[in-house]
Amino acid sequence: MGDNWGFVLAAYALAAIVLTGYWRHLVRRERELNAPVAGHPPGAPPRQQ
Amino acid sequence: MTRVLGWLAALALLAGLGMAFAVAPREATQGTVQRIMYVHVPSVWVAYCAFVVVFVASIAYLATRAEAADRLAHASAEVGVLFTGLTIATGSIWGKPTWGTWWTWDARLTSVAVLFVMYVGYLLLRGMIDEGERAARYAAVLGVVAALNIPLVHFSVLWWRTLHQPPSLMKPGPSSMPPVIVRALLVNFAAFALLYLYFVAKRVRLLRLEGEAGA
Repeated sequence: MGDNWGFVLAAYALAAIVLTGYWRHLVRRERELNAPVAGHPPGAPPRQQ
Repeated sequence: MTRVLGWLAALALLAGLGMAFAVAPREATQGTVQRIMYVHVPSVWVAYCAFVVVFVASIAYLATRAEAADRLAHASAEVGVLFTGLTIATGSIWGKPTWGTWWTWDARLTSVAVLFVMYVGYLLLRGMIDEGERAARYAAVLGVVAALNIPLVHFSVLWWRTLHQPPSLMKPGPSSMPPVIVRALLVNFAAFALLYLYFVAKRVRLLRLEGEAGA
């Protein structure tokens, strides 16, 4: 059987893209949730409408 | 602590790559394409572990109604789905040069696909119900029921005639693989397990923050 390096690289590249993508998604989401809303400091109770 | 876990996972993944490409030898029958095993097999082992965590955390939630148990089940299910998807995709890429097809409805492939769909359903169920406590309760029941599929997936290659090879390590009796290949596999499993722990720790924290933000 041939070496099929293309398939090996495809599998590893896919794994790298999926895992890095999820990692970045988690980091980005955490940054969004920790970012202070204008006029509403982090940790303060939610304001009434 | 979570940051340390992330760095450890990244370093372990580099070590895993080194083991897969520099230490493990070229396999005699399949050639280089067998190196896909170092991603494919650790992915499915981590997925099994993730769904066992969902099972245990779901039982804990049903028994205690502790929100922490529900968050753990939710986070672990999401990460488990990620690793199951990766298992299916890398298996398909491995299948094409070895079996001559990307996909076949063999017992192992079909049971993994069912497992994947069940946990995607678990996540959809959580998203569909607005009331938090009810979503958690229904999801916990599904988390317990869906786990029954895990032994079915693992033993499918022993119970039925399949195209997929039988397990080389997690089976009764000694391993049929050379020790250097087993070592490379275990290093990659350790790396994927650390990554799983990092992802779950981060996701649990996000679920808590989302809960506080929505409260």
